[in-house]
Amino acid sequence: MENQKFNYDNKIVKLFILATLTWGVVGILVGVVAALQLAFPVFNFGLEYTTFGRVRPVHTNAIIFAFVGNAIFAGVYYSMQKLLKTRMFSDKLSAFHFWGWQTIIVLAAVSLLAGFTTGKEYAELEWPIDILITLVWVAFGWNMIGTLTVRRVQHIYAAIWWYLATFLGVAILHVVNSFELPISLFKSYSIYAGAQDAVVQWWYGHNAVAFFLTTPFLGLMYYYLPKAANRPIYSYKLSIIHFWSLIFLYMWAGPHHLLYQALPEWAQALGVTFSIMLIAPSWGGMINGLLTLRGAWDRVRDSAALKFLVVAVTAYGMSTFEGPMMSLKSVNQITHFTDWTIAHVHIGGMGWNGGIVFGMLYWLVPKLFKSKLYSEKLANTHFWMSTLAILIYAIPLYWAAVTQWLMWRDYTDEGFLQYPNFLETLTQIVPMYAVRVFSGILFLGGFLIMVFNLAKTMASGSFIDNEVAEAPALVLAGKRNPATETIHRWLERRAVRFSILAFVALAIGGAVEIIPMIFIKSNVPTIESVKPYTPLELEGRDLYIAEGCYVCHSQIVRPFRWETDRYGEYSKIGEFVYDHPYQWGSRRIGPDLARAGVVGGPMYKNAAWHYNHFMDPQKMNQESIMPNYAWLAVKNIKLDQTPKKIKAMQTLGVPYPEGYAEKAVDDLMEQAQQISDDLKASGIDIEPQKQMVAMIAYMHKLGKDISGVVEPKEVAMHAESVEASEQKEAKLLNNKADLDAGEKLFTSTCVVCHGADGKGIATFPSLVDNEWINGNKPEQVIHSISEGNVAKGMIPYKAQFSEKQITQLASYILITLQNETSNNK
Amino acid sequence: MSEEKKKATELDENIMDHDYDGIKELDNPPPRWIMLLFYITIGWSIIYGAYYFWLKEGLHQDAEYAAKSMTHDQKYQIESLDADALVAFTDEASLAEGKQIYTDMACMACHGMAGEGNAIGPNITDGFWIHGCDIQSVFNIIKNGEPTKGMTAFKGQISDDKIQKVASYVMSLKGTNPPNAKAAQGEKCED
Repeated sequence: MENQKFNYDNKIVKLFILATLTWGVVGILVGVVAALQLAFPVFNFGLEYTTFGRVRPVHTNAIIFAFVGNAIFAGVYYSMQKLLKTRMFSDKLSAFHFWGWQTIIVLAAVSLLAGFTTGKEYAELEWPIDILITLVWVAFGWNMIGTLTVRRVQHIYAAIWWYLATFLGVAILHVVNSFELPISLFKSYSIYAGAQDAVVQWWYGHNAVAFFLTTPFLGLMYYYLPKAANRPIYSYKLSIIHFWSLIFLYMWAGPHHLLYQALPEWAQALGVTFSIMLIAPSWGGMINGLLTLRGAWDRVRDSAALKFLVVAVTAYGMSTFEGPMMSLKSVNQITHFTDWTIAHVHIGGMGWNGGIVFGMLYWLVPKLFKSKLYSEKLANTHFWMSTLAILIYAIPLYWAAVTQWLMWRDYTDEGFLQYPNFLETLTQIVPMYAVRVFSGILFLGGFLIMVFNLAKTMASGSFIDNEVAEAPALVLAGKRNPATETIHRWLERRAVRFSILAFVALAIGGAVEIIPMIFIKSNVPTIESVKPYTPLELEGRDLYIAEGCYVCHSQIVRPFRWETDRYGEYSKIGEFVYDHPYQWGSRRIGPDLARAGVVGGPMYKNAAWHYNHFMDPQKMNQESIMPNYAWLAVKNIKLDQTPKKIKAMQTLGVPYPEGYAEKAVDDLMEQAQQISDDLKASGIDIEPQKQMVAMIAYMHKLGKDISGVVEPKEVAMHAESVEASEQKEAKLLNNKADLDAGEKLFTSTCVVCHGADGKGIATFPSLVDNEWINGNKPEQVIHSISEGNVAKGMIPYKAQFSEKQITQLASYILITLQNETSNNK
Repeated sequence: MSEEKKKATELDENIMDHDYDGIKELDNPPPRWIMLLFYITIGWSIIYGAYYFWLKEGLHQDAEYAAKSMTHDQKYQIESLDADALVAFTDEASLAEGKQIYTDMACMACHGMAGEGNAIGPNITDGFWIHGCDIQSVFNIIKNGEPTKGMTAFKGQISDDKIQKVASYVMSLKGTNPPNAKAAQGEKCED
């Protein structure tokens, strides 16, 4: 048959390569800065834009979506054209894809540093950028499927199966996880709440690893490894088996990020088992890659490209064994919330993704520029620096993880936590963080050597935008002949059917886990006492999200004795029903905060402590590595947003009373005033509309609602004893001397919670209205003062005050305070 | 035929007629061990599911916590001291230990390195006390705290024995007049 002439679009490949190199430098550099910040907090620079909480998401997004993303597109656009013997379907779509993606990256970097974030890891970008991502991704898929339809090759090769799975997988994940309700251009709320949001988020998070960092790279491996080694693929059958099993199984494994957390047992069990079942499908890719090198190992010695590919495939094998092991519940309690996970992902990122990208570039750039690699020696230097950097990264962090875990769970002989102060367990591992900085610099140095080497190669070669090629036109084969063609072979020439089948395989796992979490009520048992956030607490929560606090602080206590002793009662599913988005976190660089508002619990700190701690954490704890947040005391809460936020929450099903949005600002200011007054009592002057006040209100909300539920028996017994033993009548002391003495006691002690006017601060009750929680008879008030109500934060004063003093106090409250209030009316 | 080419030919006995941009594929079966591994992990998963949900042998996390917590409590019978019978230690070893506890528990965050007090906590060296000045009162306030005012309850964190030592150390600071001392709060105690 006559050959048709056409051009390959090499220019788009070049553009994506240049973007890969540029964003690679940026992403790694930001990583080095983030590493420095953890080792030496001074590198937070005291600016709100440069704290670790904002820099870390820039690093992860830059590496995953900018560096790795552009590398994928470079590799895909080159290999697809060659494998299908055609130019990409549409130059316009290619250009839109390229420039759209770069725009997203720039917007992402700017908006994340500015504090616009959804607070969901690896999906932090706000809704306008989410929409742009969707558009660009659709353009990519359209271009890909269009190219398939104009191909000149009968069957689509294994690499392209993986590209297709990548397009479909990411599309499903991104769309489902990004459902959010906007309240302004820069702020939205996840439509999912609490445990549901967690399931969706980690289904997304885990499979972003699968379909952005794994499947496209397996595709690249299937093209560039046999090309660079000039060897045939070891097993066609293995390609088929590990492709389908991997894309089907991966989508189920997300809940392994939520083991021992507030998630139904069945979902956790799916996370465990499907992770274990993923070992063989993952290793299928590794051994097909390594066995393809049979007969070419002598060339590996001489070629940096092949060396990188071999290390990449090996790192992939290690990570995909380590991952399933980390999904076993007993192992997960060590690896989760420690640096183990961080080391794990960097073996994947630096080893597997980095290795494939570097190997590909060293092979592809000389090819595109019709030249030889400028220096094989420099490439080898890069290889050794990069490999060494991986080891220097991973080993200290594994060490740090085990050390910190052992310290967390260590008890003294007497049965107390050996290291009750979280900071001690962090201080111990900070030297390891310093070592990590060195690894980052080494990796960056190697990368820069590669950039130099490739730039020299490009300069010495000649580049052709449109490479002329020819191939015979495709005549589609007809019906399947069962005797000569297997079903899969037939499927390989039916691209659309292949895609539909892949879509079905991908969709099942997520559907089985997410749909029941949302629609079956018993999966999220509610807790009566859990109340929606007050407007001030909600504003504080939004600041917590914007500052990226979740990057270092978890909000979930696991059911281990060593966690409940350290933090308080373990977390229940029903606590999080008003959390849009959930904020459980994934790493504890600082202590868990789920119980920060439980008065009398081990995590509670008062307003003055929080104020001072936000202003200068190192003043409170010299060894702390937390950045300071002094601007919280300067910047105002955006009150014009508050009613919109309340309305949005109502739309999402949070039960605020009807019309509450109009009253929200008044309520907010009232609560803020109380906190401001409380701080004033400690000598701190701050206006109620400052962000600091909202942040403190949020800290004091955390875990508060279930603090009374923790030991319901004790509360009930307490109520009985009131009736049984304390009903003998008491008389108030109505004379000036006693009332003055009562006033003195009140101003020295009680004002902290009940306010100078007795109207109550924050959650503490007013003493001057007609509502009395424990009764207003003299004997009842005396009882409340002497016995307290520890669960609610009322301290028993019988150990500190004499009976007479307590009676004086009760007299002051019931006579003077009540009179003053009624006179003022 | 060169040596290398010959070796390659032997390796490529099962070559298929597939050719994608020069990439060929072999018709080798997957290594048997990888298939076996796959079946074993599937079998393990079925057993795992059965163990937890059908046979209900495996403890779910609430039950597991309750069981482990009970063992924990039995192992450590945490003893409490009788506050009324307390005496302050004055021997150097106990005071040194108390000082160490003062540092370890980050008491200086609120009360200063030398007990001089700061924006959060009161001066504990000046003989003025908010919650009582005898060893029993100091012991009590350390043990039970005063959460809303910022004083942490240390009862879940250190033993009564250690609280007694750090309380003794605090008592020993009286009259040390550290620099930058915070103004007195509470009542003066008679000696």
